[in-house]
Amino acid sequence: MNSLQTVLFFAIALIALTSGEHTSNWAVLVSTSRFWFNYRHLANVLSLYRTVKRLGIPDSQIILMLPDDMACNPRNAFPGTVYNNADRALDLYGDNIEVDYRGYEVTVENFIRLLTDRVGEDMPRSKRLLTDDRSNILVYMTGHGGNEFLKFQDAEEISAFDLADAFEQMWEKKRYHEMLFMIDTCQANTMYSKFYSPNILATGSSEIDQSSYSHHADNDVGVAVIDRYTYYNLDFLETQVREPSSKLTMGDLFDSYDEEKIHSHPGVRYDLFSGGEAGARSRLVMDFFGNVQNVEVEGGFAGNETTWQEELQAIERMIDEAKRRHNESMVPLSQHPIENTERLVRKSVLKKEGAAKVNVDSSWGKQIVGAVALLGCLGVWAAGSWLEAQD
Amino acid sequence: MSLAASILAFRRDGRILKLPPYLSALCILVGVVWLLVLPLNEYSRNTYVSENALLPGQVHTYFTGSEHNIFRAYRHEVAALVDKPLDERTRRLGDILRSSGLKVSTQKYEYSSSGRIISGQNVYAILQGPRADATEAIVLVGAWTNMDGEVNHSGVALVLTLARYFKRWSLWSKDIIFLISGDSTTGPQAWVDAYHDSHSPASIEPLSIKSGALQGAIAIDYPAGPWGHRFDKLHIVYDGVNGQLPNLDLFNTAVSIASGQMGIGCTLQRMWKHDDSYQERLQTMLRGMINQGLGHASGPHSSFIPYHVDAITLQTVGDGWHDEMSLGRTVESLFRSLNNLLEHLHQSFFFYLLMQANRFVSIGTYLPSAMLIAVNFTITSIALWVQSGRARKEPTPASTDRKISEKSDMTVVKMDSMVAIVPEPIIAIVERKLFLPLAFVSSAHFLGLLPLYIFNNAPQGALEACFYLTGLLTISLPYLAAFTLSFFRRPSTQETTLIQCFSLLLLGMFLSALATLNFSLSFLVGLFAAPLTFVRPIMPARRSNEKVVGLNLVNPIVVIMIATRYWGADVVNVLVQAAEGWHVWGMWTQVVVWLVWWPAWFAGAVVVAGTLFSNDATETKEA
Repeated sequence: MNSLQTVLFFAIALIALTSGEHTSNWAVLVSTSRFWFNYRHLANVLSLYRTVKRLGIPDSQIILMLPDDMACNPRNAFPGTVYNNADRALDLYGDNIEVDYRGYEVTVENFIRLLTDRVGEDMPRSKRLLTDDRSNILVYMTGHGGNEFLKFQDAEEISAFDLADAFEQMWEKKRYHEMLFMIDTCQANTMYSKFYSPNILATGSSEIDQSSYSHHADNDVGVAVIDRYTYYNLDFLETQVREPSSKLTMGDLFDSYDEEKIHSHPGVRYDLFSGGEAGARSRLVMDFFGNVQNVEVEGGFAGNETTWQEELQAIERMIDEAKRRHNESMVPLSQHPIENTERLVRKSVLKKEGAAKVNVDSSWGKQIVGAVALLGCLGVWAAGSWLEAQD
Repeated sequence: MSLAASILAFRRDGRILKLPPYLSALCILVGVVWLLVLPLNEYSRNTYVSENALLPGQVHTYFTGSEHNIFRAYRHEVAALVDKPLDERTRRLGDILRSSGLKVSTQKYEYSSSGRIISGQNVYAILQGPRADATEAIVLVGAWTNMDGEVNHSGVALVLTLARYFKRWSLWSKDIIFLISGDSTTGPQAWVDAYHDSHSPASIEPLSIKSGALQGAIAIDYPAGPWGHRFDKLHIVYDGVNGQLPNLDLFNTAVSIASGQMGIGCTLQRMWKHDDSYQERLQTMLRGMINQGLGHASGPHSSFIPYHVDAITLQTVGDGWHDEMSLGRTVESLFRSLNNLLEHLHQSFFFYLLMQANRFVSIGTYLPSAMLIAVNFTITSIALWVQSGRARKEPTPASTDRKISEKSDMTVVKMDSMVAIVPEPIIAIVERKLFLPLAFVSSAHFLGLLPLYIFNNAPQGALEACFYLTGLLTISLPYLAAFTLSFFRRPSTQETTLIQCFSLLLLGMFLSALATLNFSLSFLVGLFAAPLTFVRPIMPARRSNEKVVGLNLVNPIVVIMIATRYWGADVVNVLVQAAEGWHVWGMWTQVVVWLVWWPAWFAGAVVVAGTLFSNDATETKEA
C-alpha cells in the first residue's frame, strides 16, 4: 500500500514536471514579398533560418517560405549568394538551404493550410508542420504590411483576424505547446493584436502608423540588405546566445530592443501566455530558437490517456446534446405522428410557402423598384413633353 | 404648376440670356489665372520617385580610372571619322562596338520631305544580358550630330566606352542596346520605327537583329571636341513628339542621380539660370508648354516616346568642373536603376508640367485651365443656338429694344383656367434654317485640308511663297466669302448666328478632347481663338473694320509669323521642320492648326466681314 503510494507520488511529480515542457521545436520562417528591391526580406528570413539552425533546430523542423530567388536574380552582382550585411562576410545562401515553399507556392492559403495542417494526402511530409501539443513553434514573418494585414507576394494579403483564427485552430487541434510569433513589417504590432489563443508570445517591430526601416544598404548589391528590427534581434542572438546551453531568457531579448537603434517601437504581447508577463519573460530564448531534447517519461502516458478518454466522453456528450437539440427542432413535425397526414402535408407545404415567401417578397420589392423607376422615366418624359408643349 | 411656370418664365428672362458672354469671359479669365497660380508652392508639388524598384543612386559606380583612357582614345577615333564618308564611318563605328564583344548591325534610312532627301545610317549593338531572358531591353543613344547640327564627339565616344564597360558586368537583367544614330531626329525615328516593324520598307532598312521590348532610352548629347570640355550642368530634355512626355519617374531618377549622387546640377527647358523664383518657375513652365504645344522632336529621345518607351536626353551645358567620367557614371547609375525595373515605368505621371528640376504639377491640377478655355466656346455656342431660335432680332441698344417690344403685337395665351397677355415675339417659334450654316462650317473645315496638303508637300523653295500666299488668302477669304454670299442675300442674321454657333461648338469639342492629349496645344489654340467667342454680327456695321483688323491679329498665319519673328526663327525653316515632322515623326500639330484653329478663325472672320456687306441690305429691307 505504502509503496504504491510512493510510486503514485513519483508518477504525479513527473507529470507535473513534464507538463510544463516541450519535446520538439519547430520554426516557420516566412518572407512574403518578392521582387529584387525586397532583397532584404529574404535576407531577414535567411538570417533567422541560419540562426535557428545554428541553435539546433533541424531542417526537417523548419518550414522556410521564400517567394523569390534573390541568389539567382540576374540583377545580383554576386550570383548565387544572399548577404545580410554590406561587409559580405557571411553568405546566407552558401550551403545546405532547404526551401520548403518557394515562388508562387508562398500564398496565404498555403500558409494557413500549413499552420492548420489541412493539406492534401500527397503533400510531402517535408512541407508539413508536424507539430503536436508538446511542440514549441517560432513563427517569423517579414514583408510589407499595414494596419492588421500583411501583404503576400503582389496580389493578396493575410489579415490579423485570419492569422488569429489559424492559431486558434492550431490550439484546438493541439498543434502547439507554446508559440513565439515574431513579425518585422510596417505596423507589425497590429498583426498580433487580434490573437486570442493561449500560450502565444508575440512581438513585432513597429506600432500602428509606424514604418519599419531597413538597416543599411549594400552599394554593390544596390539594395537594402536587412531590416533594423531583425538586425538587432540577430545581433542579440548571434552575440549573446552563443551555444544551445544558453540560459538567457526572452525577457533579456526584449530588453535588448533599443528604440533609438530600431527607429520604431517594438511591441511585445504577454497577456495570452500562461503566467503572463513574468511567465513569458522567464522563458528561455532557447525554448523557441533552439532545439531541446526533452523526452516524455512513461508516467506521462497514463495522464495523457485519461485526458484522452475524458475528451472522448466529452465529445460523445456533445454529440448526444447535438442530437437532442436536433430532435427538439423537429418537434412540431414529430410530436403528432398519428395525426392526419393531410395536415402534415399542409404544414410542410406551408413551411415551404414560408420559405418561398421570402423570395416572393424580395422579388416583389424588386418589381416595385422597377415600376417606380419606369414611372420616374415616364414622369420625366411627360414633364419633358409638357415643357415642350409650353413653348 | 406655378413653380414650373416660373422656371419656364425664367428661361425667357433677359438676364439669363445676357449671361453667356460674361460666363465665357469668366471661364477664360479663370483658365488663365489658374495657369498663372500653378507655380506657387500651394499648387505645385515636389517631385518624388514613386517606383520602388528604381532605387536611384543606391549603387557605387565604377566607371573611372582606366576607363578614362579608353574614353579619350575613342574620342580621337570619333574625331578621326568626322570627315570620312558615311559608309566608312558606319563600318568603323561597328568595328569598335564589335571589338567590345557585342553584336552589331547597321541600318540605312532615307526620307523625303519638302523636296529634300534626308538620309543616313544608324549603327547599333546589342549587349545581351548574361543572365537575362532577352525579353526586355534598354537603349543608350548617342546621335552622331546633335539638334544644333554639331558633331556629338564626346557623346558618341561615351556610348562606345560605356558599351565596352557595360559588357564586363554580369548583372544586367535586360539587354542593352547601344545606338549611334545618323542624326538626332530622323535617325532614331527610323530605328525605333523599324524596331517596332512600323517603318516603310521602301526607304528604311529593317533591323537585322533585335532584342526584347524597350523599357527606356537615354540619349547623350555631349558635343565637346577631341580635347574635351568640362561642363557645368546637365540639361535634361524630355519633350516627345506631339507633346507626349516620358514617365516622370525617369526624369526624377535622372535628377536624383545627377544631383544627389554625382553632384551635377540639373536644368530644363533651357533655363540656364533658375533661382526658384515665381517668375522663373512660370517661365520654365511656359517654355515647357510651348515645346509641348509645338509637338516637335526635341532630341534623339523624342522618337521613342510615341512607342511608349520612356526616354530623355542628357545634354551637357555651360563651363564647369564636371568631366565626361561624371557623365559616364551618371549614365551607369541610371542604367543600374533601369536595370532594377520589374515592369514598364507606370507608377508616376505621364502628364505633368515641370517648373524646376524638382517641382511639378500633375494633370489633375492643371487640366481645368485648358478645359475652362475650351468650355467657354461651348457655352457661347449653346447661347447662340438658343438665340438663333428666337424671333426677336438681337436687341442691341437698349432704346431700340424697348421700342420694338412696345410696338410688337400682343397675344392672349390660355392655359387651363389661366389667361395671360404676352408679346407675340416671345412665344413665336422660329424654324432654324440649318442648311447653309452646316454646309458652310463643314466646307470651312474641309478647306483646311488644302493648306495642310500644300505645306506638307510643297518643295522647300516654294514654301515661303506658299506661306505668304496662304496668309494673303486667309486675310482676304472672309471678305470674298461674305461678299459672294451677300449676292444671294445670305446669310440671314439667323444663319450667321448658326454659323458661329456650329463653328464654336466644334472648336469647344476639339479643344476639350485635345486638352487631355496635349494640354499645352489646346491651351494655346484656345487662347488665340478666345476672341472668336466675342465677335457678333452687330447690325449697324460700326467699327467692323477695326474688328476685322483685330481679328486678323489672331489669324493663325499672322500668329505664326509674329511668333517666328519674336523668337528670331526663319519661317521657311519652321515650315520645313513642320513638314519633316509630318512625314518623319508623325507630328499632328499641323492638323490642329489647319483643321481646327484655321476653320474656326475663318468662320469667325466671315461672321464679322458679313456685316460689311449683307447687313445693310437686310436692315433697309426690314426698316
